[in-house]
Amino acid sequence: MQDTTPKDIGAINFGLMEPEEYREMSATKIITADTYDDDGFPIDMGLMDPRLGVIDPGLECKTCGKHSGSCNGHFGHIELAAPVIHVGFTKLIRRLLRGTCRECSRLLLTEDERDEFHDQLDESRKLSRDLNDVTKAAIRQARKKDRCPFCGEIQYDIDHEKPTTYYEVQQVLTSEYSQRIAGAMQGDEEEGIERTTPDELAEQTEIELTRVNEILSGSFRPRESQRKAIEKALDIDLTEEDTNKLMPSDIRDWFEAIPDEDMEVLGINPERSRPEWMILTVLPVPPVTARPSITLDNGQRSEDDLTHKLVDIIRINQRFMENREAGAPQLIIEDLWELLQYHVTTFMDNEISGTPPARHRSGRPLKTLSQRLKGKEGRFRGSLSGKRVNFSARTVISPDPTLSLNEVGVPDRVAKEMTQTMNVTERNLEDARRFVSNGPEGHPGANYVRRPDGRRLKVTEKNCEQLAEKVEAGWEVNRHLIDGDIVIFNRQPSLHRMSIMAHEVVVMPYKTFRLNTVVCPPYNADFDGDEMNMHALQNEEARAEARVLMRVQEQMLSPRFGENIIGAIQDHISGMYLLTHDNPRFNETQALDLLRATRIDELPEPSGVDDEGEPFWTGHDVFSELLPDDLDLEFTGTVGDEVVVEDGQLLKGTIAEDEVGEFGGEIVDTITKVYGNTRARIFVNEVSTLAMRAIMHFGFSIGIDDETIPDEAESRIDETIADANDRVEELIEAYENNELESLPGRTIDETLEMKIMQTLSRARDNAGNIADEHFQDDNPAVVMANSGARGSMLNLTQMAGAVGQQAVRGERINRGYEDRTLSHYEPNDLSAEAHGFVENSYTSGLTPREFFFHAMGGREGLVDTAVRTSKSGYLQRRLINALSELETQYDGTVRDTSDTIVQFEFGEDGTSPVKVSSDEDNDIDVEAIASRVLDSEFDSEEDREEFLGSKPRPTNLSEHADDRLTEGTEVSSDD
Amino acid sequence: MVDVSQHELVPEHTVLEDDELEEVLTEYNIDRTDLPKIKRNDAALPDDAAVGDVIRIVRDSRTTDQSVVYRLVVE
Ligand SMILES: [Mg+2]
Ligand SMILES: [Zn+2]
Ligand SMILES: [Zn+2]
Repeated sequence: MQDTTPKDIGAINFGLMEPEEYREMSATKIITADTYDDDGFPIDMGLMDPRLGVIDPGLECKTCGKHSGSCNGHFGHIELAAPVIHVGFTKLIRRLLRGTCRECSRLLLTEDERDEFHDQLDESRKLSRDLNDVTKAAIRQARKKDRCPFCGEIQYDIDHEKPTTYYEVQQVLTSEYSQRIAGAMQGDEEEGIERTTPDELAEQTEIELTRVNEILSGSFRPRESQRKAIEKALDIDLTEEDTNKLMPSDIRDWFEAIPDEDMEVLGINPERSRPEWMILTVLPVPPVTARPSITLDNGQRSEDDLTHKLVDIIRINQRFMENREAGAPQLIIEDLWELLQYHVTTFMDNEISGTPPARHRSGRPLKTLSQRLKGKEGRFRGSLSGKRVNFSARTVISPDPTLSLNEVGVPDRVAKEMTQTMNVTERNLEDARRFVSNGPEGHPGANYVRRPDGRRLKVTEKNCEQLAEKVEAGWEVNRHLIDGDIVIFNRQPSLHRMSIMAHEVVVMPYKTFRLNTVVCPPYNADFDGDEMNMHALQNEEARAEARVLMRVQEQMLSPRFGENIIGAIQDHISGMYLLTHDNPRFNETQALDLLRATRIDELPEPSGVDDEGEPFWTGHDVFSELLPDDLDLEFTGTVGDEVVVEDGQLLKGTIAEDEVGEFGGEIVDTITKVYGNTRARIFVNEVSTLAMRAIMHFGFSIGIDDETIPDEAESRIDETIADANDRVEELIEAYENNELESLPGRTIDETLEMKIMQTLSRARDNAGNIADEHFQDDNPAVVMANSGARGSMLNLTQMAGAVGQQAVRGERINRGYEDRTLSHYEPNDLSAEAHGFVENSYTSGLTPREFFFHAMGGREGLVDTAVRTSKSGYLQRRLINALSELETQYDGTVRDTSDTIVQFEFGEDGTSPVKVSSDEDNDIDVEAIASRVLDSEFDSEEDREEFLGSKPRPTNLSEHADDRLTEGTEVSSDD
Repeated sequence: MVDVSQHELVPEHTVLEDDELEEVLTEYNIDRTDLPKIKRNDAALPDDAAVGDVIRIVRDSRTTDQSVVYRLVVE
């Protein structure tokens, strides 16, 4: 335990490393590509040199003397035979080449220009804007110069061939200049260009005649000024492009001469980063700890990808040196140089476009430095921002309606693995001993204990009894999770706050996590195989925070829309609907059965007495038992009726989705805001259990007969469809006879399509209406649709009436073959059938062709969701990264980490959407809130009136105070 | 040219006096560079606004009646 004291980071500096620095920090120079000798010992000055650190346990590091685990490893270095370009800086190298003089290396800006950019840079820095904008502008300006303002040298274009080759492109005299001049002097009779004699040329260009003749014979190369004169006189181009490859060594020399004061304008700190350091002459070799070799089962060693790459580099480096010493031809040297460049490049980044990736013998591309860092699985996103954690569990989830919404069922085998640290005191000594004596296998047991001297002992089946007796106050016991412990529960994708909530543990048999179905909406969970994660908290602070801030009941209201996100769903809603819609009667046994899982164990006064003299309770009265005694509410409900609650009694209305449902159920929402989260949790729990009892009392199922309609209706639907088909035929006929009038802004074709679509959608609606007539209000599908539990009347229409038009991209189906959708139809058949109108219902069954069109429409939906989720996931990531560091400060402003203000008042009004909610038609009811607060604040009418100032109380404090009495209700304003 | 500052959707932009600016900066305990920015060529700015000035924008708000924001004029 050394060197573990936390230290403050004072500053971080980014810059380039000087070659000398690489050499200084190097533990050894690496000269041989071999790793281990025949006896399995690492070779000195090889890639596995023991001075680079140790990975085998037991060995000692030759550099620092520590053992594996405490030695971080040490860098080595390779002396490159020739400089190579660092791929990470190719863009900057290009910019510098373009912006500086090829002769004197100075920035191609006059001193004035340079000073101006300097000022701009300071300004940008102050406003924390992107400095790159300024430096880029400076380079752009410098590139415009044809000549160096300091030494006058002509500047050439720089061509960059990715990834690491640079060319100078110059316009030079073409080798066939004499032919071109002679050709142009011939003239062209057809074009009307006259012949030019050498005399005339000499005169026009002011070149001596002898020179002209020499030029024409090709024995004298005209100088630049002469070339330009001839070009102008004869209107020809005598140049050709000459590309001159810049070798890394040339670039290095070029950069070495760039003066320090020019660097600053380019945003480079010359003290920390000289540009020539972007051209590597020394390559650092990562310590072995960063590229450990592994021993396979058969005893063979398998090296890390980085080691493989380093082997390549060293081999080429050696060959380069040998060839150069042997005086090999320039061509070979250049080839080797390029190869060295390739290996060093792929050592750093093996995913460069245009360069074939370096591959393993097996053909798999090597994972080199950049690949280790980049992307989701990379060091940053995969190992630092997010990593595997201890005390976590993941398994399939399943529903359990008997749990409270705050609870989670944890499998016993998970509970025995996740532990909580117990600090043993006098008061919990007995518990601690019991846990330890239960051992690691029994439930509530313990896995480890820690003695006051810091020694940790494993609790085993064998030693648990003895160990339990030794446990005393001051020990620590790592006990199993037990009922009531708090854990964090999460389902991915974690798109909002409610995707991670704290639950209380209930240990259960079997292998799945159990949760109450009302928490499905915030997690967006269902039970078709979904898995969820659980995290056991490891210190008291975390547990307290989770309990107070993260428990499910604290997340009842969504900050997204300020209403409840937790509430009754699906069968709960059907159940409540059945219980309250027709306000059915229940006898005592039935009523008690409905309420058996709630806190209510005594029934209220019966609602009435039936004809046989038996007392009965209505659905409304049973439901009212769950409401707070003084709740008053009045609003229009789900089914369109008036819902009236007075003094906690439901007087009128159906309880369904808009009343107790998940997204903004009015009653749940009101109870949460007025009576608090705890009351709301109790209410939602009880609503869900009452609803389950109710739905089981009435029975609720759905079958094929529930969607079947009488033959008579069937034939009426057929008629409607036939009718629509006829009308479509009429439209087509009108179209073919050019009698169709186009709608404003539409072509004839579009008009026809629109009219057909209209006709067909009306036909489907009509079919649906006919089918609807035959469904009673107690039809389960109708109950679900009306109560908002699941499905809509449209679904019912499609099941019983007709499925209707299938669409791809919002149009009738038009794709497939040339001029037709399927080969079953004539080309250019415009009929409903040929373009995906499904006239059958799901119950009657689709024809093969209908089925095919239906699959086309269905496929579009699937593709849409798939594309949407990936798009929105990326968008979400970007948004979260952009907003994650914004924070509301104590003064109400929202600021980023550099204290720049983003909002002067959070959300403009400084309020949390969860604490306040109002919309266009529901303003905040200030009066009701005020009277409610007054009611709870003051017991007597007198106190309240005195507070409101409407009736002052007499005092004996001062004669002046007596004024208040005589002045009656008047309150003086100056005190 | 249309004077956008007269448009009903463009909130009121006024240049802050020095003493008002001082008040704002002390209220939020910030430098003027910590303020949100607005470009000098923004059409909604009053003509006399210069780079370095601070603008007060009073706009109608959905949640409060009016919300006041300050912005620093930049290049
Ligand atoms: Mg699922
Ligand atoms: Zn070491
Ligand atoms: Zn120069």
